[in-house]
Amino acid sequence: MTTPEPNGAPKSTPEEPWPVRVVSQKISGWIAKLGWVWVDGQVAQISRRPGASTVFLTLRDPSADLSLTVTTNRDVLDMGAPNLEEGARVTLHAKPDFFPARGTLSLRADEIRQVGLGELLARLERLKKLLAAEGLFDPRRKRRLPFLPARIGLITGRASAAERDVLTNARRRWPSVNFRPINVAVQGPTAVPQIIDALKVLDADETIDVIVIARGGGGVEDLLPFSDEALCRAVFACRTPVVSAIGHETDAPLLDYVADVRASTPTDAAKRVVPDLGEEIRIIGQARQRLDRAVRGLVEREQHRIEAIRSRPVLARPHVMIEQRAADVTALRDRAGRSLDHRISAAAGDLRHTVARLRALSPAATLDRGYAIVQGRAGHVVRAASEVAKGDVLRVRLASGELSATVDEASEENR
Amino acid sequence: MTDENLSYEQARAELATVVEKLEAGGISLEESLALWERGERLADICQHWLDGARERLDAARQQAGAEA
Repeated sequence: MTTPEPNGAPKSTPEEPWPVRVVSQKISGWIAKLGWVWVDGQVAQISRRPGASTVFLTLRDPSADLSLTVTTNRDVLDMGAPNLEEGARVTLHAKPDFFPARGTLSLRADEIRQVGLGELLARLERLKKLLAAEGLFDPRRKRRLPFLPARIGLITGRASAAERDVLTNARRRWPSVNFRPINVAVQGPTAVPQIIDALKVLDADETIDVIVIARGGGGVEDLLPFSDEALCRAVFACRTPVVSAIGHETDAPLLDYVADVRASTPTDAAKRVVPDLGEEIRIIGQARQRLDRAVRGLVEREQHRIEAIRSRPVLARPHVMIEQRAADVTALRDRAGRSLDHRISAAAGDLRHTVARLRALSPAATLDRGYAIVQGRAGHVVRAASEVAKGDVLRVRLASGELSATVDEASEENR
Repeated sequence: MTDENLSYEQARAELATVVEKLEAGGISLEESLALWERGERLADICQHWLDGARERLDAARQQAGAEA
């Protein structure tokens, strides 16, 4: 029964169930098929019992909440990783082993190499290139933070300085800021799975507009969880903008590259996620003043324009319009009067002249000088002696009165 | 009258035209009087707009003051 069962092996039935030893053997056979493998993991626990030659390790996946037990010989450990401590990263050569006596599984390692810091950093560098090539750091994929988030998700260590820094500084800037903090382990083997879980919870929360992942400063090894590939991918997958706020000295954790906004410290993150209330009030006040001044200035300018138009004589002194015409009427009337006067005086002159002429033609003046007019019986003016005969009665008109005379003699005068 | 519907700018533009016509002269007395009446009316409309704008400004300012 040590060889794998061919397909034609008898099936277990309720009537003919397999005994435990058979099942145990089958499991052992299946597990052994994996053979020797190289495994990468983090040491969660190590127990070296004094005097015992077998050492037990709990090997965790740094990115996920799962682990395997590793057994090895003390000599193997002393050769490859003499100072191995909990939290260290190891690469080991192992084969899965099934212990039928207890039904447990473990990896039996025949070579263990502690992964040094240099190797870890080299791995990070490779991971960084890979993620960059996949576009996880692309600036075009970064989301903008909201100006004023309704609620902020905060992932930090319990009662940590980072948590206090973010909360205190954010409240100082915007007193009514609303946080939903989730406390996680920020170092050690459980950090990454806890942070990823917290991210998922906060990303699913519709009231949260931005997520801050904060941790105070630490050495390169302490900050390794923040360069974890699974964490980077989880952050990239978030719909909510993520701010990284990991205090670090030299190398930035990969979270800084994949996050939408990179804050240098938890305090800096507080500044980036909420505006400064006092500053905003001041800016609004200034804008309001400028607005006010602009509109008031406009109204005043228009007021002056209207006043200028109203003060133009045609509008300001409308009577001029009528007075001018009244003056025209008076002038015309004067002209008419004057012209009539002229005509009358001219006529009067004419009359005087005519009368003078009339007077000049009258015989009265001649009679005044002593001349007399002699008229015959028929009233005709006698101009020659031949016109009368002896005995004719003539009328003699003098300057004053007239005489009646009788002709005594008429003698022709030769001229 | 549709005068109430004139905007400030419309009223001001028409007012300027009226004044120019009056200043140019050469129009009948009756027409001059009608133009002058129109000018006064337009000037009132402009003033009304400006007074209203000031009132609104002051009201908004007071409200802002009360809120602050």
